[in-house]
Amino acid sequence: MLTETNIADKNLRDEVRSWLSENWTQPKAAALTQHQPMWGASDELKSWLAEVVAARWAVPRWPSEWFGRDLSNAQAKIIEAEFAAVKAPGTGQDRTNLWANTLLAGGTEVLKSKLIGPLLKSEINMCLLYSEPNAGSDLAGIRTRADRQGDHYVVNGQKVWTSGAMTADYGMLIARTDWDVPKHLGISYFYCPMKQEGIDVRPLRQITNESHFNEVFITDAHIPVDNMLGNFNQGWKMLQTALAYERLIMGEGARGPRGGNKKAKDEEILIALAREAGVLDEPKLRQQIAQAIAYKKLNALNSARGKADIAQGESSSLMSLGKLAMSRILHEEARLRTEILGPASMLEGSDYPRAEDANFLTFNAYLTSIGGGTDQIQRNIIGERVLGLPKEPEVDKKIPFRDVRAS
Amino acid sequence: MNKLSPEERVTLRDSVHKLLTDECSENAVRTTMETSSGFDPVLWRKLAEMGIVGLIIDQPQGGAGVGPVELEMVMEEVGAALLCSPLLASGVLAAELLKALQVEDVANRLLPTIASGECIATAVLTGQSGCWTQSGVTVTAEGDASSNEWYLTGSASYVLHGQNANLLLVAANTPDGAGMFVVDAGADGIDVASLPTFDHTLRLASISFDNVAAERINTQRPVWDAVRQALDVTLVALAGEQAGAAEHCLTATVDYAKTRIQFGRAIGSFQAIKHMAADLLLETESALSAARNAAVCLADDASNATEAISLAAFACADTFVTTAATNVQMYGGIAFTWEHPAHLYLRRARANAQLFGSSDFYRERFMQQLGA
Repeated sequence: MLTETNIADKNLRDEVRSWLSENWTQPKAAALTQHQPMWGASDELKSWLAEVVAARWAVPRWPSEWFGRDLSNAQAKIIEAEFAAVKAPGTGQDRTNLWANTLLAGGTEVLKSKLIGPLLKSEINMCLLYSEPNAGSDLAGIRTRADRQGDHYVVNGQKVWTSGAMTADYGMLIARTDWDVPKHLGISYFYCPMKQEGIDVRPLRQITNESHFNEVFITDAHIPVDNMLGNFNQGWKMLQTALAYERLIMGEGARGPRGGNKKAKDEEILIALAREAGVLDEPKLRQQIAQAIAYKKLNALNSARGKADIAQGESSSLMSLGKLAMSRILHEEARLRTEILGPASMLEGSDYPRAEDANFLTFNAYLTSIGGGTDQIQRNIIGERVLGLPKEPEVDKKIPFRDVRAS
Repeated sequence: MNKLSPEERVTLRDSVHKLLTDECSENAVRTTMETSSGFDPVLWRKLAEMGIVGLIIDQPQGGAGVGPVELEMVMEEVGAALLCSPLLASGVLAAELLKALQVEDVANRLLPTIASGECIATAVLTGQSGCWTQSGVTVTAEGDASSNEWYLTGSASYVLHGQNANLLLVAANTPDGAGMFVVDAGADGIDVASLPTFDHTLRLASISFDNVAAERINTQRPVWDAVRQALDVTLVALAGEQAGAAEHCLTATVDYAKTRIQFGRAIGSFQAIKHMAADLLLETESALSAARNAAVCLADDASNATEAISLAAFACADTFVTTAATNVQMYGGIAFTWEHPAHLYLRRARANAQLFGSSDFYRERFMQQLGA
């Protein structure tokens, strides 16, 4: 029996399918499979996204005044399925575009009119200006300041761990706008123009000898008042909204290691390396390799169980465990790669690729166990939000921020 | 196999949970564990009536005929409640062994009385080495295939609930390889001695055979293949028991950490305690995932089922030991007393980690199953 919903769904599917068959042509598809730049979008991608936005497929769940169609989640998924079937990018940005979602949630009409379109078309590049050298785990302890002068704010301070800062047109910035209230209550949230004097971006050299992140030194930079998201001094709340979008996106992107079934033919890398090094018959090493592989498989099983719970409409605490699990997996795999190599792990350079891998992975594992909140902060979150244990007393929570002790 | 709907599973779990809440309280466990049999016959009868004893026995033979998924689920409850019973020995190990041997008349004769709980059966598989492989078999059978008269001689050990069993399934070396024999536990020439167990909720026995007349089960399968199948099903059940027990331990400890006040605040607010709890949550959730995955793989007859069982075997055994042991430290002094239940779980965890093979044994089997 065809209900009204069925008919509407079928019409929608027909519409998107015929649009794709007319517009998603072979040359466009071929051009987009070419190498994409690490930061920002290629011209081919931008021009395709402009077509998707104009046809209102980019953000179907959004209101019609902002490029959307006011569709339900189920209907939006029909569109996403059709795009996915022909491998066309650009739809579902109402779930996956952190910048546009945050702007829509808290931006002024002026700023939304100016930037939402370009954001959906990837015409402008973005970065995050959250962490500071003295505000890492304690993010609410930021000391970058924004002071109002007429129709703009003047910003001074230093941000760190900013990826994409070199090419960014705007940064989503948190800065202190009131020093006489407790720390969470004196922060505001901005879209900060990056291409101006007063913004100095310097690449940070990491322990891996790579440079994916930057330091951003801000000296008397200007931000128009229209670029504030959310209300004055309520930036912490806005930040929670933005972080929730970020976690949602990361959660969907975080596939983790695949389960054993799909890649049955590929030998586990630790087994292959131990075999190559001629040490696969050492009982102690075999035990440790088995345990490392087990950690990986258990994490995949937890993740699958969590997704199944969520699919059934239940909340799942399993997802909060993935980060801790992944830290342990990466550190342990790197440690075993080193153990398999033995003294050869002292070497580096292209003549010693196994040592390069083991040493790189050993250091890069900290990206997971420190980045995005340390494992110790994650344990607090699990203890407090999942297990319901009480918080530690916070000595700086209720006093004016200017009286808070700093290092 | 009788597949239950999700609703029926919830009903089954709830009814087991209710029975154990009512009849298997900590006090009841403490009383039962100090009796000589180590199980409560009244509760045993109720478990049988509810269909738990015959859970995996087929319906025509008087069982519920459900599969590993339901078995694992029920065992989570059994582990949480620290049930003292011959369930694993009789309703799982012996029952699955009889199924695995695939000799219809023997199965039809023996399984109904096991399902009803009237007969307690167990498997005699190893000696003092406690090695649950074919090389661990210590009993010898002499006789002759043409007359089918066989006599068992030798000393077996670590027989689960051997002192409570009416019926023994005995693995023995014969002139033609490993054989499986059925013998009444009261037969002439059998001497059963209870072993003193560190886990007081556990019952183990050593059994010596002196020229004991026994019936050979003339299976077409290699006997040790059937034993391995029975051990694998038993491991899934044990994994469920361990995962359920570990989860229970952590929940209880976290509850305590919310109410125990030191230095003017709940000890659970200290990161020293909180981080231990968070780490254990990763372990206990992983154990539940591993046990349930092994059950599903086994029920689906998946090609990687034995690999999944190996993973569950060592992951759940280690998790239960780690959780029960760390919990003692988290509780502090109160858990160093006999009256506190923490040690009961730690004793069970340590014993479970040895039954049917160590974690190291299953990690090595896992490696081999991965092709290494």
